[in-house]
Amino acid sequence: MLRQETRDAGIAVLLGEGVRKAEERAARYDKAATWAVWSFAGVAIGILAFIIGTIFFRGITTALTPSFVFGKPQAIQAGGGIWPMIVSSFYLAFLTIAIVLPVGVGAAIYMSEFAKEGWITRLVRFGADSLSTVPSVVFGIFGMVIFVIYFGLGYSLLAGALTLTLLNIPTVMRTTEEAMAAVPHSYREASMGLGASRWETVKKIVLPSAMPGITTGTVLTVGRIVGESAAIIYTVGLFVRKIPTSPLQPAAPMAANIWHMYTEGALVSDWMRVANGEAAFLLIVVLVLNLLARLLAKVYQKKLGTKEAR
Amino acid sequence: MARERYIKLLLMACASLSFLAILLIFIFILRESMPALTKVGFGNLFTSTDWNPDKGSFGILAFLNGTILTTLGGLIIGAPLGVGTAIFLDQVAPKKMATVIRRGIELLAGIPSVVIGWFGLIILVPFIARITNSSGYGIAAASVVLAVMVLPTITALSVETLRSLPIELKEASLAMGATRWQSIRTVLLPAAREGILVAVILGMGRAIGETMAVQMVIGNSRQFTLSLFKPTATLTSRLVTDMGEAPPGVFRSSLFAMALVLLIFAMLLIFSVRMITRKRKA
Repeated sequence: MLRQETRDAGIAVLLGEGVRKAEERAARYDKAATWAVWSFAGVAIGILAFIIGTIFFRGITTALTPSFVFGKPQAIQAGGGIWPMIVSSFYLAFLTIAIVLPVGVGAAIYMSEFAKEGWITRLVRFGADSLSTVPSVVFGIFGMVIFVIYFGLGYSLLAGALTLTLLNIPTVMRTTEEAMAAVPHSYREASMGLGASRWETVKKIVLPSAMPGITTGTVLTVGRIVGESAAIIYTVGLFVRKIPTSPLQPAAPMAANIWHMYTEGALVSDWMRVANGEAAFLLIVVLVLNLLARLLAKVYQKKLGTKEAR
Repeated sequence: MARERYIKLLLMACASLSFLAILLIFIFILRESMPALTKVGFGNLFTSTDWNPDKGSFGILAFLNGTILTTLGGLIIGAPLGVGTAIFLDQVAPKKMATVIRRGIELLAGIPSVVIGWFGLIILVPFIARITNSSGYGIAAASVVLAVMVLPTITALSVETLRSLPIELKEASLAMGATRWQSIRTVLLPAAREGILVAVILGMGRAIGETMAVQMVIGNSRQFTLSLFKPTATLTSRLVTDMGEAPPGVFRSSLFAMALVLLIFAMLLIFSVRMITRKRKA
């Protein structure tokens, strides 16, 4: 009898020991996992910092001076600048926005305010999803076939802008739809209750309230356009040295020109320097646009007193 | 009222443009690749590794191989890094720090691919060349570059999924005495499985389609290789390299056939994402 009790007590002690060990091991794993995810995030941020740091450092130490930024590119001798490329990048961006913004916002208005769920909306969503997954180089050669050759636009800012419109429709649509979804339903009901039509409600109530989201989305889209290269080298061009004056002229936006410098660089003896400077300048433009978008969102948020969604 | 109708039609036209566009892209790419598909033949195009347009051989297997290997490489490095970072951001990081890091990763997504390619060219390729005693160009360099490019996609979407999980899941698990890691591994990650899978698939889409950054570090040779450190090419890099010089004809058409393959890859990814999300909703 007594023996039985002793044995039970012994088992209890052993079990307790096992549980303690398991707990210890769990705590060890927990610590290791915590450490691991900290280092993963550290690596991710480290990569970002390293890339930005390297590009800036190279650009600033080798190239970025006012005479480089505002200078004329050279065909053969060293010492050329990139001003026409900068102008081309922004020209292309504004031309694209001028086309994609009305179309994308219009599509978003239809999807969120007018359409009933059905086969049309399903087709549109499928189209937008597909467009956002198709590689940009495919857009590029499609634009080349249809806009450059078939419509006879030649290598031109317009052909590039039309190509980039297709590329950016899904993003503009999505950001606009999100912005409109954030407008409370009571606004619409109030407006329509007062006798306004659906379109009047959209125009006077929904769009103005969604404007902050649309503006932020547009600034981010400008950033994407300025950074895009694969879709434009066979629609806009990549080695023109003139400042474009008409949408029907070819141009060489920065992103395309960096690639050109690297593929055909030997033409200019200081191609490394030009590409370094151009990469740094392009990165600065993109970062500034990102910050601007964030700043705009914050300003609007304060003005409207609403909380940011995320 | 009539005006309202016209406006609605106009808006509908805007919306239908997205579907029309993808349809047009498909039709035109298919049409342009027809000469290659018929003259070179389906089999030849996809099973031959001999790409020599001047001599009339148009095998794209070597580039298909390059696309698959670099994409896998990019995901093998990028997916754990992205999901790990997402777990950190959602579960471990102090709130302020999480915001800062998330913003940083959004910035990483915004860096143009030529800039990342240029970084690869001036830093990564020389580095790999030094440690492996090779040219430095090849699948290894391209994989690292792609890992950087899929990281923001995978992180952002994984964070979103983790965040959408009900807080009770984690609380219940912690209340049972589980450690944080046990809760993450046995409760949260299984619950987030589909969302993370979608994140990885969309990351894969980005990797398959990435062109300029890969083109700048892979070396663009025509050879078929399984080596990580030998120059080769992907579908996208070959396409963008040769398009400038290809005269109309079978040569150019076979480049469009590469685009067709990319397009089909993209469609397959879309469909698999739809299947996964539909199953989750049901």
